Amino acid sequence: MGSTLCQNRLIEERKQWRKDHPFGFWAKPQKNAQGVLDMKIWECAIPGKKDTIWEGGQFKLQITFPDEYPTKPPKCKFVPPLFHPNVYPSGTVCLSILNEEEAWKPAITLKQILLGVQDLLNDPNPESPAQAEAYNLFKKDRAEYERRIKRIVRENAAP
Amino acid sequence: MSSDPEFDGVSPLTEAKSSRVLMVGAGGIGCELLKNLVLTGFGETHIVDLDTIDLSNLNRQFLFRQEHIKKSKALVAAEAAQKFNPNVKIVPYHANIKDPRFNVEWFSSFRIVFNALDNLEARRHVNKMCLAADVPLIESGTTGFNGQVQVIKKGVTACYDCTPKDTPKSFPVCTIRSTPSQPIHCIVWGKSYLLNEIFGTSEDESAFDHSIDADNAKEIEELKRESEALRKIRESVGTPEFNEALFQKVFHTDIVRLRSMEDMWKSRKPPEPLDYKALMEKASTLDKEAVIQDQQKIWTLEENLIVFNDGLDRLSKRVLESKAAGQDAVITFDKDDEDTLDFVAASANIRSTLFGIDRKSKFDTKQMAGNIIPAIATTNAIAAGLCVLEAFKVIKGQYSQAKEVFLTPFAPARLLGTDKSREPNPDCPVCGSFQVRARVDFSKATLNDFVEDFIKEELGYGEKEFAISTEVGIIYDPDETDNLEKKLSELSIKPDSFLTVTDEDNELVNVIVSLSESKEPLEEKPVRGILPSDTEVKIPTQPKKPLPLTNGAGSDGPLVVSLTKPTEAVTPAKRSHPGSDEGVAKKAKTTAADDDDDVVIVDDVPSGAGGDGGAIVIDDD
Repeated sequence: MGSTLCQNRLIEERKQWRKDHPFGFWAKPQKNAQGVLDMKIWECAIPGKKDTIWEGGQFKLQITFPDEYPTKPPKCKFVPPLFHPNVYPSGTVCLSILNEEEAWKPAITLKQILLGVQDLLNDPNPESPAQAEAYNLFKKDRAEYERRIKRIVRENAAP
Repeated sequence: MSSDPEFDGVSPLTEAKSSRVLMVGAGGIGCELLKNLVLTGFGETHIVDLDTIDLSNLNRQFLFRQEHIKKSKALVAAEAAQKFNPNVKIVPYHANIKDPRFNVEWFSSFRIVFNALDNLEARRHVNKMCLAADVPLIESGTTGFNGQVQVIKKGVTACYDCTPKDTPKSFPVCTIRSTPSQPIHCIVWGKSYLLNEIFGTSEDESAFDHSIDADNAKEIEELKRESEALRKIRESVGTPEFNEALFQKVFHTDIVRLRSMEDMWKSRKPPEPLDYKALMEKASTLDKEAVIQDQQKIWTLEENLIVFNDGLDRLSKRVLESKAAGQDAVITFDKDDEDTLDFVAASANIRSTLFGIDRKSKFDTKQMAGNIIPAIATTNAIAAGLCVLEAFKVIKGQYSQAKEVFLTPFAPARLLGTDKSREPNPDCPVCGSFQVRARVDFSKATLNDFVEDFIKEELGYGEKEFAISTEVGIIYDPDETDNLEKKLSELSIKPDSFLTVTDEDNELVNVIVSLSESKEPLEEKPVRGILPSDTEVKIPTQPKKPLPLTNGAGSDGPLVVSLTKPTEAVTPAKRSHPGSDEGVAKKAKTTAADDDDDVVIVDDVPSGAGGDGGAIVIDDD
């Protein structure tokens, strides 16, 4: 188990999310076999932003919280992995607010993380590429890159 | 001592004779402390330690001898210390302190509990149990020359969790996989990524098992190929091409690919890919044995290649042998396993070279990769002595005299710095909660019984909204009511566990309920509070400001203040002592670290992350 601090914070995050969350998003701790919500692993869904090539898509993200959360950031992973310059082949998202040495702060909420990842979709950061495929296409053939994204969006259409 | 003007009564030494105390941990501090307790004449000392004796303990854990290696620390320590004083009783347990048999009731049977532990998780557990049982705890810890002793008494002094603890440094995956800038980044890469990918438990493929439909098949395939390339090489262990294939993949192909992402190198020096054959030509004349023997030398690139190959050969041989014997062929990093250490040191150095980072000797690599912190017998002995001095104050009930003592040999003024015990932090997630106990008939109690009879009625929540959680997570909240009809036992809630009740409106503090199995069946109401019968339960309200999360930008709530600087926060508040200075406070660092073992143990800190046990959070890609 994590520390009490970690646990309390995740319970608070759940409460805040239940009370209010942005439209089209989804986030809930995974239920284990006994019916207990395992606060360390959350199943989330992020909608593509309106007026971007990502609009209409919805992408599943798994967030894993370490025992040291909120001192340390959670890990976000697209399941299945997403074609995107800042997503590692395993699906893990490379984003400054999720990086302990960069912009992570314990005060960052789940909602801010999910909004941050949503922003990242249409606004990749070429400074920290995580997969060569998407990065190179993004840099070298933007038209083809966008065609691919649109296809991915069709395949992951929001319900 | 009997002339102590502040104490009219029996002397603490006399009092000690009839005291039953618990010591958790029989390692570095534990051995010293047990000796002190026994010689002081504490009537009955219980010892719990799950560990066995290791060769590396013997230089300072003086109750142990060569012939005790692999035996239980608790048992051997008890036997050895008993000879010092046959008039006291020592009861050892070779067991984990988190074992449910050591329940709140058991804890409450002791006059004092002493922590002589080496890890955060166990410390937190004992802290929590002592608060629930309302037993004073004397907490101690050392790292190298520094030490700290603190008295924890519910409602009177700060508890162990009143200040956030330092957590081991971790490195973001981007730094490790793509943009290392320090030797440690490359060492972590070698130890947690490369070694694991080739010989350890690589990330399973479940991430890719998801529906591959016609259209995205190609991308999924490509991603898969990228992350599977190493796995393919892994399968070729033992073939003549294996070493070269691995080298070319991680020190050439991957590096070329990294370089292709040009923006990454705008502000950084791009790495230089290496070529195995060219390098081997230069390395062929080297004397392998001589190179490997020299642990203090910083090997050249060619020498590292020699060690890389040799380490790889040895590890490959082991894997093939285990496979042939039908055994598990997984190898994980161990700083005392020369084969893994050689492989990691050489791989890290080769990677460092191509990124233009300084190389490290094998000796230094061992220390860095193994998180080695020296443990010092004298520090442990001083800390253990201080524990007994504080115990006397506890026995006398003089909590106002209790001190938080810091052992800081590099402070200019004095060796021992003391602070008045701090007051409990009202925002503390642990002791800031309201503690109650409840008796439960586990054969029939449902979650609904707990909600209706105990929380709403006995605790007086009435119509207030709340959430209930176990140590795993939430079992009930206003949107999660599926579990109400289930028995507590079906939710894996066992006797002697805890449930936390959280107020949805953030008015009342959290309530921590300790559940114990009812001795007799409880017919009407299978959940019954153990509450003072005459007074009404009064759950305290939360301190002033509503807690953390404004759902907006929230960059300066109370939470932030206490957490953004974990390193400083470890050191208790401000030190009023005139003899102290900042240097003292900094050095005084943390009980979170360790008292035990040359070694440590950042690897002992519990963590859900990282394949190697927690120090390093690295991803899986």
